[in-house]
Amino acid sequence: MSILEYNGAAMIAMAGKDCVGIAADRRLGIQAQTVSTDFTKVFKMNDTIHVGLGGLATDVQTLHNILKFRMGLYELREEREMTPQVFSHLLSTLLYEKRFGPYFVEPIVAGLDAKTNKPFLSSMDLIGAPVQTKDFVVSGTCTGNLYGMCETLYKPDLEPDALFETLAQALLASVDRDALSGWGGVVHIITKDGVTTRELKGRQD
Amino acid sequence: LTALDFVLLQLLQHTHINLYRSTMAPFRTHNQQQNSRNAAGGPGLAMMPPIIHSSEGPVMAKADTIDHGVTEAPYERGFSPYEFNGGTTLAIAGPDYAVVAADTRLSSGYEILSRDVSKLHALTDRCVLGSAGCKTDVDQLRSVLDIKQKIYHHNHRKQMSTPSVAQMLGNTLYYKRFFPYYAFNVLGGVDAEGKGAVYSYDAIGSFERTPFSATGSGQAYIIPLLDNVIGHKNRADEKRELPAEEVVEIVKDAFVTAGERDIYTGDSVEIMVITAEGIQTTTFDLKRD
Repeated sequence: MSILEYNGAAMIAMAGKDCVGIAADRRLGIQAQTVSTDFTKVFKMNDTIHVGLGGLATDVQTLHNILKFRMGLYELREEREMTPQVFSHLLSTLLYEKRFGPYFVEPIVAGLDAKTNKPFLSSMDLIGAPVQTKDFVVSGTCTGNLYGMCETLYKPDLEPDALFETLAQALLASVDRDALSGWGGVVHIITKDGVTTRELKGRQD
Repeated sequence: LTALDFVLLQLLQHTHINLYRSTMAPFRTHNQQQNSRNAAGGPGLAMMPPIIHSSEGPVMAKADTIDHGVTEAPYERGFSPYEFNGGTTLAIAGPDYAVVAADTRLSSGYEILSRDVSKLHALTDRCVLGSAGCKTDVDQLRSVLDIKQKIYHHNHRKQMSTPSVAQMLGNTLYYKRFFPYYAFNVLGGVDAEGKGAVYSYDAIGSFERTPFSATGSGQAYIIPLLDNVIGHKNRADEKRELPAEEVVEIVKDAFVTAGERDIYTGDSVEIMVITAEGIQTTTFDLKRD
């Protein structure tokens, strides 16, 4: 039993045409027992950045608070909003600072560059090793399932509505084959006009 | 050996050890010479019990038994009878057909042993077994099933039906419940009524008839996709019956995906479509990386 599988999670972030989507399940469990069916794992950091934190729930919440704090400091000092690349790098450094006693979280970052509207995706392991991709990133207790679904369903340059459908199907099919994730889902689609959030109704088990 | 032989043997060993000592004397420390068992007047060299080199250092075994590291000075043995040779197999049942597919890569660790080894085996005209896992166990399992099938055919004057093959495979696997065949199987074929039938197995013979099945190193990548596309789960649009050609395209997509994300899957895919008329085989190339 890995500590990263204690609470259960599933999340995907995917790039479309001038938009990004990020989706996660809603379950919080203590090993086999489900404790909450509306646990938030995807957090809006600003208008252009969303971060998905999957792993040990206490570290998810702690890291969210730390990131809010650091973003606030940045905005006070720099008098401008953080860009997704900078945010991802900040997160990576934060995690590596705890190299020999890490936060048990494997985050994914989804953002939109404010000027060019180009999508930004990155994911990291629990000690901050980052990887940037153009198509999709996944994290959680069913990454095998998620990779399979995303690899098959992904097409480049999807419009926001098509991106939503793709994310929804990929997430639901994957979590239905994993005991530790599921109990519904939430999908955020980020475009230059704003963020659209939709709840997914899935198998409640 | 007579008693005289035994005495002569001891004399020989005694001379040998004395010769050794006189040669090595200038190189031996005073301590070593003092601690020499002969000097202490203990039993002779011939009676010295073996030294076991355990993970905690060399240990003298008990004089009257050889423990083999079981209760005293336990040591690790490095031999495992199993090895994973990789690969992914998949089977889908339709209204009047079944599709069974498997990649053709054989690997061991990070090495590719062959790019062109079949994981599919037609047991009868209407039934194909796909197996991933340990190649030698898979081959042996196939031999055993072939023989049993031949005997059935001889006794009953007809080929085994697919549900019968399914049961036979389950029983054959359970026969080796306490030293299992390291084989992950899918069985696909048409049943006695001509409808597609797929059976999924675990390594020790638990089986079930299912609409589709995937097994092997790439199964996690493929199963949710089949749930969604074949099982029509979590979908709002109307479910329609899929013809064999469309299912074959889905199978190809599934293997491309598995080939991308799984290191043990790739090279090419062998696809067999089984209908009441017989079995048709096609191949499809994958990335060879």
